[in-house]
Amino acid sequence: MAGIYVHIPFCKSKCTYCDFASFPNEINKTESYFACLYRETKGRGLQLKGKKFDTVYIGGGTPSIVPAKFIAGEIKQIRQYFDIADNAEITIELNPGTVDAEKVAEYKKAGINRFSIGLQSGFDEELKRLNRIHTAKDFLKTCNLLKGENVSADILIGLWEQKAEDVKKTVDLAIAGGVRHISMYALTPEVGTPIYTDYLNGELLSDDETADIYDSVRAYLKEKGFYRYEVSNFAQKGYESRHNLNYWKRGEYIGLGVAAASFIDGRRFTNTYSIDEYCNDIIFNRPAEANSTVIEGKDNNFEYIMLALRTADGIDVKDYKKTFGTDIFKDYEKAIKKNAKYLDITDDKIAVKDEYLYVENGIITDFME
Amino acid sequence: MSIEQKNIRNFCIVAHIDHGKSTLADRLMEMTGQVSERESKEQLLDSMDLERERGITIKLTPVRMFYKAKDGVEYVFNLIDTPGHVDFSYEVSRSLKACEGAILIVDATQGVQAQTLANAYLAIDNDLEIMPVINKMDLASARPDEAAAEIENILGVDASDAPRISAKSGLNVGEVLEQIVKKIPAPKGDRNAPLKALIFDSFYDNFKGVICFVRIVDGTVKVGTEIKTFTSDKQFTVTEVGVFAPKMLATDSLSAGEVGYIAASVKSIEDTQVGDTITEVARPADKPLAGYKKALPMVFSGVFPLDGSKYNDLKDALLKLKLNDAALSIEPDNSVALGFGFRCGFLGLLHMDVIQERIEREFDLEIITTAPSVSYKVYKTDGTMLVVENPTHLPPTTEIAYMEEPVISASIFTPPDYVGPIMELCQQKRGTYKDMTYLDKTRVEMKYILPLNEIIYDFFDSLKSRTKGYASFDYEISGYQKSELVKLDMLLNGEICDALSIIVHKDKAYERGRQIAEKLKDVIPRQMFEIPIQAAVGGKIIARETVKAYRKDVLAKCYGGDVTRKKKLLEKQKEGKKKMRSIGTVEIPSEAFISILKTDNDK
Repeated sequence: MAGIYVHIPFCKSKCTYCDFASFPNEINKTESYFACLYRETKGRGLQLKGKKFDTVYIGGGTPSIVPAKFIAGEIKQIRQYFDIADNAEITIELNPGTVDAEKVAEYKKAGINRFSIGLQSGFDEELKRLNRIHTAKDFLKTCNLLKGENVSADILIGLWEQKAEDVKKTVDLAIAGGVRHISMYALTPEVGTPIYTDYLNGELLSDDETADIYDSVRAYLKEKGFYRYEVSNFAQKGYESRHNLNYWKRGEYIGLGVAAASFIDGRRFTNTYSIDEYCNDIIFNRPAEANSTVIEGKDNNFEYIMLALRTADGIDVKDYKKTFGTDIFKDYEKAIKKNAKYLDITDDKIAVKDEYLYVENGIITDFME
Repeated sequence: MSIEQKNIRNFCIVAHIDHGKSTLADRLMEMTGQVSERESKEQLLDSMDLERERGITIKLTPVRMFYKAKDGVEYVFNLIDTPGHVDFSYEVSRSLKACEGAILIVDATQGVQAQTLANAYLAIDNDLEIMPVINKMDLASARPDEAAAEIENILGVDASDAPRISAKSGLNVGEVLEQIVKKIPAPKGDRNAPLKALIFDSFYDNFKGVICFVRIVDGTVKVGTEIKTFTSDKQFTVTEVGVFAPKMLATDSLSAGEVGYIAASVKSIEDTQVGDTITEVARPADKPLAGYKKALPMVFSGVFPLDGSKYNDLKDALLKLKLNDAALSIEPDNSVALGFGFRCGFLGLLHMDVIQERIEREFDLEIITTAPSVSYKVYKTDGTMLVVENPTHLPPTTEIAYMEEPVISASIFTPPDYVGPIMELCQQKRGTYKDMTYLDKTRVEMKYILPLNEIIYDFFDSLKSRTKGYASFDYEISGYQKSELVKLDMLLNGEICDALSIIVHKDKAYERGRQIAEKLKDVIPRQMFEIPIQAAVGGKIIARETVKAYRKDVLAKCYGGDVTRKKKLLEKQKEGKKKMRSIGTVEIPSEAFISILKTDNDK
């Protein structure tokens, strides 16, 4: 299994919590950016000939803000230069209010079969404070256009005066919209974002309050038929994001576009954060990589464990043995013994117990050399 | 050719902390051309990083200077610097033995302070000629007449012709040089008599072995001389002698009256102890010089490596530090919670702090120090007596008839405004009032008997904060007194952590137990499970706090692809974890053990 991530670094306006590579003021560079993206796609495709890919994820920014022809063009390019499985999962992120029936039709025609909507909150005043460009109503309209499709929604917890009941209402809204997958992220205030000031002033929820909401909403989601398959991801059976699962299983993926991260042939690298630098590199046939690390020795094992322990299924003991040729119970005897209380351990798997998944860092760091 | 004794002046500078001792030393060195102003680092003598950072002198440092006086004769000055803090008065007395005179610096804005007195009396006790100097004349608030009057009234030293200087600007420092020649007596040793050299400090050099800092009292020593000390049978051949210029500079010989160093490939510090006398093998002196009274450690604390496998490195570090710090005592120790380590004795809390920082900086070792304790006398029901320096060694209460704790007699100097707050503080610290004297209209001396274990915590800080820094404090040990003491245990997750046990007065157990529990709650980070913190006396729980279990400790942000960043965040967390010590199932940051002292009693 391998994935392709495509980054679209444009949006209408910056959300107050956003520290991703997204540049509302550079939207005039859309055309040249895509020209470069196509070129990078071709180059990487040729370079990775022979590898089979079965997921594509177009993220951002707000990919739905650019004309659909560019997205369709990129998918066409990917299909031309990469070996894409027939049943590939092809996802696009979109914002409510940025798509119409025509756009959705073009996406579908291009082969997109999964839609991830940035809902964040079902409350307009919260959306406004987050500087989101949509309302709860816009979300339902967008869902209407996507009826019958495989739709996911992102929601945020940890906001200002948020209560568990509020988030449940947001969940209700998402379910009313027909979503089959929900990503529930805890707001992480990053230095340099406007919301960081709120954080410094203690206006956001504490970790304990956020955890209370998480626990309560997790139970609610379960009731509604959404089970947790990873720390922040909940889905109806069969609707898990294959693209994300590939990350947790430490599968390979190639990132295309600004700031996109890749993991190929044991090497991790990330493209440059700036659109201009990226275009310059691509025009001159240079890789646009800003950093690159070959993962060596036990670091590989640690990554494998750290990622797998995020999932409900945990570490597949046989797969570990297949991957590294050693026995995980021997390799990490001490860490496993120390954390036995917090782990579900059988001959086949090691997973963090349900109630400890949200405090798993303490467990994971014990596996670090 | 050795310098004639009549042209040698050996002296030290004594002062209260921050009255300008190191600055004057720098100025004297500059004016005698020992170092140029440009190449002089600020405060040359404080050569340890730690000393420079804290602005205090901890170790002795001798320096030789040449001075051509107005009488046309070139004199050799040996300046032996001394530490200023009360914890180090032992080191002061060492350097005084190597001198004939002492420059007494008094700050013109502050007058005579506690440490001025203590050090001046030490100098007088050692028959040194006292030469007062009034410093900080560059400050607008200088009141030299009052300072001079204080010197005469309190110390009984004539200050009528004391140079009024500014060590900072150099004002009148020339007058100091002239007075050194005139007022400080020349040494009077017999250069033909058998060798008698007093070791006043030493350190270990990887190439030359132990380097002894000596004052030659009688006789002469040169390369090739066979030497021995009075306390050891071992004999050594001198490989190098020299002076401090201010770096070590080899010379042909050292003769009576001179100050310098001797190297003789001595491998063990035990063979040439500070305070011992060196003599010749061929023609030994009949008796040693009067040595020093051995410095008694007052405060005891467990010192453990953070990483248990570094035990031997810690041992080496402590032994090397002990080499030139006779006051440090070391004994092997082990704790259920912390494993193998050492029980060390220190002169006081500053001394303990300095040793701890030197271990961390100079030897790059991370250590855990436990709450300091004093040494208690435990009289058992079977009639025997036991000295207990480590709370974990306290016998069960049923075997104890009664206990005694060390007390100090404290002199506190303060402006009259703060007498009330100080009395209140001393009361809180179980002090017994003895006496109060108005030295003049701005200064009161209060005398108290205080239990030492109350002083080692935060007495000095509390005193300073209650008197806006005006009060100063000096003390000496004045014996033992009977006291109702109990062992206060701390339980983490239901288990006693021996490294956190302390001995306290019965009436204070409840308050301290509560304070320590609160403090531990603050310093112990949240973990996977809830951690009860309990304070107990004799099995009875007297206080309880709880560290709540972690609720959210996860990387829960979107975008799965950036694994490198996720890993970095976890690595950072791991770093923090490495600085912790596991006590049972609980992870405790190393500073927890010492932070329990710093409970704020003023709350």
